[in-house]
Amino acid sequence: MEPEYSSTVVEHFEHPRNGGHFEAGEGVIRGTAGSVAQGTMFVLSAQVAEERIEAVRFEAYGCPHCIAAGSWLSERLVGLSREQLRAWRWRDADQALQFPLEKRGRLLILEDAVRALSEAWTRLIP
Amino acid sequence: MTPSHKSSSPAIYLDYAATTPVDPRVAELMIECLRPEGAHGNPSSGHTFGTRARSMIEKARQQVAAAIGARPECIIWTSGATESDNLAILGVARFHADRGRHVVTSRTEHKAVVDAFKQLEKEGFEVTWLKPGTDGIVRPEQVREALRPETQLVSLMHVNNETGVIQDVAAIGAICRERGVAFHVDAAQSAGKLPINVEAMNIDLLSLTAHKAYGPKGIGVLYIRRRPPLGLRPISYGGGQETGLRSGTLPTHQIVGMGLAFEIGEREREADVTRLSALRERLLKGLLAIGGVELNGHPTERVAGVLNVCFHNVEGESLRFGLRELAVSSGSACASGSDEASYVLRALGRSDQLAQSSIRFSLGRFTTEDDVDRAIAIVSREVGRLRALAPTSTPTP
Ligand SMILES: Cc1ncc(COP(=O)(O)O)c(C=O)c1O
Repeated sequence: MEPEYSSTVVEHFEHPRNGGHFEAGEGVIRGTAGSVAQGTMFVLSAQVAEERIEAVRFEAYGCPHCIAAGSWLSERLVGLSREQLRAWRWRDADQALQFPLEKRGRLLILEDAVRALSEAWTRLIP
Repeated sequence: MTPSHKSSSPAIYLDYAATTPVDPRVAELMIECLRPEGAHGNPSSGHTFGTRARSMIEKARQQVAAAIGARPECIIWTSGATESDNLAILGVARFHADRGRHVVTSRTEHKAVVDAFKQLEKEGFEVTWLKPGTDGIVRPEQVREALRPETQLVSLMHVNNETGVIQDVAAIGAICRERGVAFHVDAAQSAGKLPINVEAMNIDLLSLTAHKAYGPKGIGVLYIRRRPPLGLRPISYGGGQETGLRSGTLPTHQIVGMGLAFEIGEREREADVTRLSALRERLLKGLLAIGGVELNGHPTERVAGVLNVCFHNVEGESLRFGLRELAVSSGSACASGSDEASYVLRALGRSDQLAQSSIRFSLGRFTTEDDVDRAIAIVSREVGRLRALAPTSTPTP
């Protein structure tokens, strides 16, 4: 009885986009949430310029849904403004990836990572 | 949601501890038995159809008895190890309940044993749950210390289904015999892999199943010592077959299959074990080379075909999904499907995370070197890929 995965999840799990991270440097922000001990952890890093996100990298420790969510989000966030990043909510990822109900909590961890990223941006250029 | 599955090359079967394919020689004999000219008679009937079936059953009884050093009249046919475990544990404890209500087992037994003991707890018995060491082994001294004047039964498995770790049942049997306590052994995972001799090992009750030893599913055996007789209360009632201990018409074709499977298993045991040990070492070497891989359970006190390892810094569900070209198990088959970490690995001191990131590879009669090499390549690829995606260190924001 393995859990089922949507084709979008399988696609991102098999071919994750933008895995890895940007080294700390000019215009680089970073947001982390969760932990390995807790079973789910996300690290997002982004390159920002002129009030827009130019590129995103993700690292994830978690189930296939989580890895797919990190990958999917790394594409989704590109081009967002500060305001748009601050307004991002987990339901966006849920719609695209159809998380099973019992895994919804993991999307909240992803949302926390986005929030941390957004806060890092504020600290970078208040 | 459309479920998607990788469907390139056929899966590599490395799950022999869950169940084995039926040996073609066994399948052939069973089919013969099922044909019109086979043996369809009820083995309890006195006519020639019945006596033909009966004689085939008695031959199979001898075959299984010979494989475990028992006398044929000590063999009771059941539907498998689950039923044998239940009959042995509930049967002995209930029969002797007026003499004492203390029983002993371990925390790493199969569910068929654990849940039978939990049932006894509900019936007012006191159960001592022995805790094995981090190597998975219950020391015979622990058993000795647990025994009380009112102890009726000790039940410990020969080989653990998740880790492949071997218990010293002969030493434990000697202690129980000395103290006059009945000793039950679940040998579902050791038949055909280790020598078993119920007399020499002082075993009073022994559970066997055919489907882990290249026989059919749905047939098993409970060995019961007859001299001196061991009191046992049946768990089901009916036509009184098998000396009243297990009523129901005997399934001739299943029994014949189990008999031959055990005869072959014993005859080919040493050759099988030598071949499987080499394959397992090859697999272990390949997996350890990946790095961040640890063996679960004792390094040497283990059966040939089973390898249980944990992978550091890889999440369990992603690991299993990444490895779906391999037919392997995480935890035990009945426990998977739930997100719960294996209680066996937890008892050995593994964290929830590591228990969930553990995989049991079990090899068998039809496993080839090529299967093992392909498995190593797939595991290496997926573990490498998932680790590359995992957070490298605790980053500072
Ligand atoms: C140690 C052990 N005991 C009991 C069983 C149950 O056997 P059966 O499937 O024949 O009921 C198994 C197999 O799942 C096992 O590995």
